[in-house]
Amino acid sequence: MNTPGVYMMCIVAPMSIGHALLGLLEGGPRHGYDLKRAYDERFGQDRPLHYGQVYSTLSRLLKNGFVTDAGVEAGDGPERKRYAITDAGVTDVERWLSTPEKPEPYLQNTLYAKVVLALLSGRSAADVLDTQRSAHLDTMRELTRRKSDGDLADQLICDFALFHLEADLRWLELTAARIDQLAVEVNR
Amino acid sequence: MTLLRAEGLSKSFGKTQALDGAGISIRAGEVVAVMGPSGSGKSTLLHCIAGILPPDSGTVHYRDQDLTAMNDSTRSELRRTEFGFVFQFGQLVPELTCLENVALPLRLSGMKRKDAERAATDWLARLEVEDVAGQRPGETSGGQGQRVAVARALVTAPKVIFADEPTGALDSLNGERVMHLLTTAARETGAAVVLVTHEARVAAYSDREVVVRDGRSRDVEFAR
Amino acid sequence: MNRVIGDLVLGVRLAVGGSRKSWTRLALQGLGIGLGVAVLLFAASLPSVLDARQDRHNARNAVSEGTGPAPLLAESQSHPFRSEYVRGTYLRAMSPDAPVPQGIAKVPGDGEVFVSPALADLLATPAGTELLKPRFPQKVVGTISQAGLLNPRELLFFAGDARIQPNEHGNTVYGWGIAHEGGGMDPLLWLLSIVGIVVLLFPVLVFVGVATRLAAAQRDRRLAALRLVGASASRVRLIASGEALAGALAGLVVGFGLFYAVRPSLDRISISELSAFPSDVMPTTALTLTVVVAVPVLAVVTSLVAMRRTIIEPLGVVRDQKPVRRRVWWRLVPVVAGIALLVSQAGKIGETDGRPNQWPVVLGIVLLMLGIPVLLPWLVERVVFLMRGRTPALQLAVRRLQLDSGTAARVVGGVAVVLAGTVTLQMLLAGVEQEVRADEKKQANFNYLTINPGTDSDVNAIAAALKSSKGVTVVHRIDQAFGTLDSGGHIAINIASCEALAAQGPVPNCTDGKAYVVPYGDGQPTAQAGDVLTLRHSGEKWTVPSSLETTQATFPGLVLTPAAAKGLVAFNSQYIAKLDPSVPDAAEHARNALTVARPWQVFTYFVGQDDTAEAERVFGVIRRALLAGTLLTLLVAAASLLVVALEQVRERRRPLAVLAASGVPRGTLARSLLWQNALPLAISTVVSLATGIGLGVLVMRVFGAEVAYDWAGLGLITAIVVGLTFAVTALTLPSLRRATGALGLRTE
Ligand SMILES: Nc1ncnc2c1ncn2[C@@H]1O[C@H](COP(=O)(O)OP(=O)(O)OP(=O)(O)O)[C@@H](O)[C@H]1O
Ligand SMILES: [Mg+2]
Repeated sequence: MNTPGVYMMCIVAPMSIGHALLGLLEGGPRHGYDLKRAYDERFGQDRPLHYGQVYSTLSRLLKNGFVTDAGVEAGDGPERKRYAITDAGVTDVERWLSTPEKPEPYLQNTLYAKVVLALLSGRSAADVLDTQRSAHLDTMRELTRRKSDGDLADQLICDFALFHLEADLRWLELTAARIDQLAVEVNR
Repeated sequence: MTLLRAEGLSKSFGKTQALDGAGISIRAGEVVAVMGPSGSGKSTLLHCIAGILPPDSGTVHYRDQDLTAMNDSTRSELRRTEFGFVFQFGQLVPELTCLENVALPLRLSGMKRKDAERAATDWLARLEVEDVAGQRPGETSGGQGQRVAVARALVTAPKVIFADEPTGALDSLNGERVMHLLTTAARETGAAVVLVTHEARVAAYSDREVVVRDGRSRDVEFAR
Repeated sequence: MNRVIGDLVLGVRLAVGGSRKSWTRLALQGLGIGLGVAVLLFAASLPSVLDARQDRHNARNAVSEGTGPAPLLAESQSHPFRSEYVRGTYLRAMSPDAPVPQGIAKVPGDGEVFVSPALADLLATPAGTELLKPRFPQKVVGTISQAGLLNPRELLFFAGDARIQPNEHGNTVYGWGIAHEGGGMDPLLWLLSIVGIVVLLFPVLVFVGVATRLAAAQRDRRLAALRLVGASASRVRLIASGEALAGALAGLVVGFGLFYAVRPSLDRISISELSAFPSDVMPTTALTLTVVVAVPVLAVVTSLVAMRRTIIEPLGVVRDQKPVRRRVWWRLVPVVAGIALLVSQAGKIGETDGRPNQWPVVLGIVLLMLGIPVLLPWLVERVVFLMRGRTPALQLAVRRLQLDSGTAARVVGGVAVVLAGTVTLQMLLAGVEQEVRADEKKQANFNYLTINPGTDSDVNAIAAALKSSKGVTVVHRIDQAFGTLDSGGHIAINIASCEALAAQGPVPNCTDGKAYVVPYGDGQPTAQAGDVLTLRHSGEKWTVPSSLETTQATFPGLVLTPAAAKGLVAFNSQYIAKLDPSVPDAAEHARNALTVARPWQVFTYFVGQDDTAEAERVFGVIRRALLAGTLLTLLVAAASLLVVALEQVRERRRPLAVLAASGVPRGTLARSLLWQNALPLAISTVVSLATGIGLGVLVMRVFGAEVAYDWAGLGLITAIVVGLTFAVTALTLPSLRRATGALGLRTE
């Protein structure tokens, strides 16, 4: 595991692992080990989750009433406990998906997780993208306004931000264009 | 005040359904970006609401006139007097000088050559391209040509300017400059702008955006 | 070497290209060049046609001297029929091995006749049966074959007649076929034919050049692109040559095809002098080779010259730059030189006898014709640059032409030469026609037939037959004699009553006993009162009466009323039959009545209202032929203009679509197309009319002829040009409509 990966994880984890797990549970009750495998498969790539992370997140969700115990599967070990999502959990996922991320650099992971989860749960990924674009554009409009009123330094700073935000949106557009392809893959 | 309102627009080309119940509404003086993936029907929507292409079904109202019910020449006339157009490239008549290109719409509505060219010179100056006035489009750079095109779209003081990827062929600096000049001039003259683009930085010059996907539009204003 | 061939082949491939557009272009080129090649081949056949004619003409000449008794007697005679002449010979074989004339199987026996196919046709017509057949009572035993005819429409006969007697003026024939020392062509006619050939052929050459450049704009752009990509100038030239060659070769194929397709119908041309036996129409080997070599060379050279700019500044073609201004001075050289040469020759033909110096004239005409296509691009450019375009439509057209007037000017340059040539020919024709008509007018007051019976004919029988002929009102007799003046000059003496004189022309206060002298036109000495003449046939002396008046009657020489001619014995008699103008074809009836005499002994001459319908027909045919030629070239030119226009619409698809989208009415765009086609055509029409008229005036001055204008013809040409302009524009409209639809806005 490399350092930037850990660094990223630290930024991303608190914001989205919970929602990601919730989203995965929407497909039906699973036990912790299953959840970790599903998460790693979809979002883990080169930074798979620790068991510890999974269970600490699940216990937080349990505490908040977003998941419940769904009985223990026959077998041994604590990992055989199954969790199911509650109505409150579904509402939380919904809220999370329809809330655009604050436009800022390096939010691909969250956005990606949102898109995949929307697809997994049969929600409209395009809506997620449109909502995000709208939020991005609002910020960009603000920056553009600042730019045209400001001096050269302002312009340069604004342009920096604008180009990065644009890159996000570009990626969003690309994802949107590939959404059908993605849907097939995600639901395989 | 809603200036232009289109509802339930459908248009197919053979088997391709380019528009499938799209709608949009434009208020006077606002700049609306039309965004969406390639092939989603943005240009087709623009052509339909500008009265260039008759839709298969649906209505387009400009003020209280129904564009879909007009005949070709009335629509031409409306486009000439009320609308302005900017496209991605190749819109200037290659054999006319830039000045004559800008003066052309005025002359077509019967203005005297001298007056038309004076007005055209003013607009070229506003768009910072007065020095290419005597040149042919082939002898200008892409950015200069696009500014000349913007000047031509604005010279008749239109109520709506339709721009389809106006910066598509320009680099970012030129693109932004053209957008800045276009939106500033439009705001000054009170013209609404319908801006088709897939570039966020260009769309950022708008007041709001409309997203087209698979021939359907999501117009936040319209939904309300 | 391989590279060279490779480049040439690449050019050919580009020309043939496979796409529909390149095939269309090749087809147009082929048709244009092919038309030119066909005309050139016909011109190249002219020497063979003339040679064959001359050969057969020589074969007709009788060898009148020989040893022993003549095997054959021959009397040639022409029978005028309306305004045509039926030529022929009456023959009497004196021995079984009498020489048979070319074209017939045997010497016709007494009462037999061979007729040419055209004469057979004529005799079969109702008019021929009624009015000509009586003069051919013989039994038709065969037709004269090609070997005996000068041209397929010649009216000719060989009749057998046993009444022919050998006589002292040599009607004996020992054989056929002898080359006569030809007097050569009338210098005037000769010049006229040269003018005609130059006027006809020159445009053909120009046209071949123009056809090579059909739809060249697109090709130029392609070659410019090649050049920009890095092809060297010489390689681009080779590729361009390859393209031109492809067109020229296609043209040669089409040309030979056309030539062989048209050739068989040449014998159906109704003017006999213009008709020819198809088998005679064979281009000479040398000239054929010249055509086969010259046409591709011309095509390649024109194409290379026209490509100059593309090769030097390829970017200009790609970027639609303002072209370099054309310079005028060298373009004026041919025109000025041509006019100077022609002016220097004006009126000279009448002065010098013998053959005039034709070279300055021919050279002048060629230079003037060459001047048109050379000057036209400059002129179109100048005119277009001076225009600013009052309406947007006109402005669009003018600006377009300013950017590239060359293409259009080249196309119309070819037309202009053809038009100028046609106008010149029309004027020459109008001049000739005017003279013919003036003669007719002069004769319109008269209506009589003069009859000259041979010396040993039965004059009384002739007079009686004439008197009883339909439509003959009076028959006058005029006696004739010849006198020798003391000075040695000869003078004709006519003895006629006042009525007889009045039939021929106004003789004021004529009373019997008056004597008149009519001066010879060429200033030969005439008799004066009191002169003593020696009569030629008898040697007697006769004194000219003292009361001699000068007048302008028909016959030059001395004209005496019977009382003034006392003591003068006539040597010969002539009849004048006055004809009733209300009886149609009275002259033909009178001529038929003359069959009481031996047909070869009576000569008639008709003075009066000729059958103008015939003149009308001849001029009509020539005019129609001219018109057809003009129309054909104009059509090809219109096709080229159409290609140019279509290409421009296609090229400017996007701006046109944007203009239409911005609400520019289609009508404005259509009008701009119309102007764009009309301007070059209008300029070239004006230039060619001016040149044609100017050339016509100059040439007629050279001939000393009276200048006449064919306004109807000029009007017709102008109308055709206007019509074609509209037609071309109309044909461009569908593609304009397509380009200006919303689809035009889509990027390709
Ligand atoms: N004239 C036409 N003939 C056939 N199909 C057409 C035509 N015009 C548009 N289409 C189709 O309609 C759909 C929408 O095209 P449109 O040009 O409106 O897309 P767009 O959103 O403008 O795309 P882009 O961003 O690439 O310009 C496309 O699938 C296109 O192929
Ligand atoms: Mg488009």
